[in-house]
This record gives sequence, C-alpha cells and structure tokens, in this order.
Amino acid sequence: MAQEKVTSASSTLRFQRSIIPRFVRRIAEFIVGGIFIYAGVIKALDPIRFASDIDNYKILPWTISVQLAFYLPWLEIFCGLALIARRLYLGGLSILTVLTFIFIIATLVAKIRGLDITCGCFGHASKNWSFTAHIALDLSVLAALIALCICERLRGNSS
Amino acid sequence: MRTRILAFTLSIVICAAAHAELKWEQTTVELHPASTDKEAVGHFKYQNTGDKSVRFKSVHTSCGCTAAQTQKDEVPPGEKGEITATFKIGDRTGTQVKTVTVDTDDPVNATTVLTLKAVIPQELEINPTFVFWGQGEAPKPKTIVVRAGKDFSVKQLKVTSSSPDFETKVAETGKGQFKIDVQPHDTSRNMAATLTIQPEGSSKTFYAMARVTNAPAIQ
Amino acid sequence: MKSSLVRQALILVALAFLPGIGQAIYFRDKVSWQSPIPASEMVTVAQARAWGANAIWVDARPDVEFEREHVPGAVPLNEDRWNELLPQFLAAWSPEKSIVVYCSSQSCNASREVARRLRDEAQLKNVFVLKGGWEEWLKKK
Repeated sequence: MAQEKVTSASSTLRFQRSIIPRFVRRIAEFIVGGIFIYAGVIKALDPIRFASDIDNYKILPWTISVQLAFYLPWLEIFCGLALIARRLYLGGLSILTVLTFIFIIATLVAKIRGLDITCGCFGHASKNWSFTAHIALDLSVLAALIALCICERLRGNSS
Repeated sequence: MRTRILAFTLSIVICAAAHAELKWEQTTVELHPASTDKEAVGHFKYQNTGDKSVRFKSVHTSCGCTAAQTQKDEVPPGEKGEITATFKIGDRTGTQVKTVTVDTDDPVNATTVLTLKAVIPQELEINPTFVFWGQGEAPKPKTIVVRAGKDFSVKQLKVTSSSPDFETKVAETGKGQFKIDVQPHDTSRNMAATLTIQPEGSSKTFYAMARVTNAPAIQ
Repeated sequence: MKSSLVRQALILVALAFLPGIGQAIYFRDKVSWQSPIPASEMVTVAQARAWGANAIWVDARPDVEFEREHVPGAVPLNEDRWNELLPQFLAAWSPEKSIVVYCSSQSCNASREVARRLRDEAQLKNVFVLKGGWEEWLKKK
C-alpha cells in the first residue's frame, strides 16, 4: 500500500514536470531574464529621469527616489542574469517576483489616485504605452515568474 | 391599405437612411502672409453632401489671436459655405499653427479640427535680441548678429539707440550678415536702451534691447 | 532551501550595490539629492511660490485677460505686442531671477511660445512654464 502511494506520488511529480518541459522553462527564463536586463539597462542609462519617474508615483520622498533610481536598475540586471545563467537562481527569482508585485500595486494605486505616470517596466522608453498595455505586460511577467517559482519548487520537492 | 403600409414603411426607412454630412474641401490651410501684413485669413470651404441640414453648435479657436466666423448657423442639404479664420499676426515670428474646432450636430463627424498654418516671413534674424551687463561689470562691447532671412536681401542696416548711454557700431560680416557691437559708456548704474534696427529700403523695423541690470551679471 | 534562497537574495542585493554606488558617485554633481528639479521647463505653482521674490511671473495671455485679473506682480508679455511689452518685462527682470510664464490653461500654447522666445531670442536662463497655468494658480490661491 505504502509502495503504491510512493509510486503514485512520483508519477504525479513526473507528470507535473512533463506539463512544463525543461526547454519551455529555459525559454521562459531567457525571455523573463532578458526583459529585466533590458529594463534595467534602459533605466541605468538615465537614472535622473528614472528618479523623476519614481517620484511621480508620490509614494516615496525624493531622496529615497533618487537612491532607488541608482540602485534598482542594477538589481534588475543582476537578477535577470541570475535567471539566465541559473546561478543564484532562487534568490533572483524571488527578488524579481517581489519587485514586480510591488510595482503592479504601486501602478494601480497611482492610477486610482489619478496620477499621470509615464513609467512602466521600461522607464521612459514605454512612456507612450497605454495603462492597459503596461498592466498587461506586468501581469504577464508576474505570471511567468510565479510559474517559474512553482517549477523550481517542484524540482526541489522531487530531488 | 397595403400601399399605405408600404409608403409608411418606406418613409421610415428613408428617414432612417437620411443623414447629414459636411464635406470639407480641405481641413488644413497654409498661408504665406507678407512681412508687412497684420493679418492672415484662411478660408475653409465645405458642402453638405447629405440630405439633412447640419447645424453648427460651436466654433472655437486655439488662441485668442485667431477669430473664426461661420457664414451661417445651419447648412441645408446641398448647400456650400465657408468658415473664415482670421489670424492676427501681431509680433509673432516663424511658422504659427492655430486650430479651429468646429462642433456640429452631424452624428457621424460631430467635431472637425481645421488647421491654419501661417508661415511668417522673417526679414531679419537677430541673435540675441537682448544683451546686458551687470552693475560693475567691465563695459566691453557685446555683439548682436543679424542675418537676412531666407528670400530676403539686405544690403545695409540702420541701427539707432534710444539712449545715448549705449553706443552701437554696425559692420557687414558677409552677404546679408551683419554684426552690431553694443557698448555702454559705464556700468555704474541701471540703464536701458531699445535698439531700432531697420534694413535699408524696408518699412519694417526690428528691435533689440540693451540693459545694465541692478545685479551682478552671471558670467 | 529557504536559507539558500535568503543567502542568494542577499548576495544579489549586495552585488547590485557596487555599480549603483559607482553610478551615484559619477552623477553626484549632476543630480539634486534634496529636492526634485522641474522636469524640463515645467514648474508647479508650489515650486514657483517657493522661489518667492526670486521669481518673476509673466502673463502670456491676451491684454484683456491680464487686465481682468492676473497673478499679483505679474508682468504682461504676449506675442500680440511683444516688441512693446518686452522692455517693460526686462526692466523688472534681473539675471538671478527665475521666470515663470503662464497662460490660460495647460492646453494653451502661448506660455510655451513666450518661454521659447525668451530662451532662444533673448537668451535668458531659468525660464519656466507654469504647470496647469492660470487655472492651477487660481485653485491654489
């Protein structure tokens, strides 16, 4: 009976892993990692503009906005690289998931407050995008990150 | 009885199909006023190609310097007309773009934006139009560069200062290019002068300003 | 797994500090650390008010609107009578002042045009356009 349960559990895990083949996961890691590296580079190239964009959300004082503007893009770049290189993977994945979640909440709060924000994932490069396009991309990225988290957790459980 | 029903139905169908439609000959008009013109007038012609009357609900312009006039408030089917936009040039320079927003009761095209583009010829390009010295600053000459505008030929410039406290010297630096050296006699007190610049043979006058300000100049 | 996650996250957080600090040092003189600088030419009513006597207010609206009501101490300067009004503005101006140009509302272009001419033709520095225009000033009066 116990033997049957173990066999059944490992079959379920193999089945779950096969739903998301390894190569699909790798593609997702490259895409999501690439998006964050690109987003980080765009913002790192013009930190002063990024500081104004953060300030536009009217959540943090200006001095904090400026400090974050110098720091966040590099965090995004390193976490994106972690995803692609599969080094410090869990750490990178968790940080990106938390960052994206906070960012979506901040964007929704700003929208509700009627603020005119032009900052999206890509800083000022995405300033002409509609609000819906912004949120759609952010939610897609969050969904991909959560899916990768689940995959990693399953891999962890099965090993 | 059947004929009556048919006629009634047909009339309803015809009424439903009847529509108003204002067709504009052009919605953008480009004007090239002369340098001495005070106004530029654009004519936006239209025709009601529909079978219902069109009523103008409102006509407003993007700037107080532009006035728009409709010839009539209501345009019967088939009728033509025009909206006249008069742009007061004033002291404006360069290419000016003004819009006239027309609101009608046409359900298909309720709002039309008419664009009036006026290219104001610049006989002279003066750079800068203002020179200043701070009090106590060395009263060295400062230069104003004057160039003849495109399509204009300027052989000579006449420059007069409204104040004897400022001296001006004009020199030709190239074809249609001049420099005006402006120099105050001293910078110990506030002084101001309007420099009137007139191209030879032109009735139009241009201006530049010179001042000694009450604060030290930012170097 | 949890401790591995935390350790990895901390390493990444620490790694990002290095280029971040490097960039902050590079930009230390180019950025205002204490207060935001107006983005390009725009300035809010609050920011302009904070300049106090160091600001010179310029009303770019038509004469009739200026005569009706205007920001106390504002100087009229519009494109209808630019040549006539400019000397009067320059008499009130001095180099250390910030120039705040306003007109009827955000969509009105007159303030931008007047600001542009002050910058390009008269080559004046510190020329700003009031965000929200006259209406915004009335709201915050």
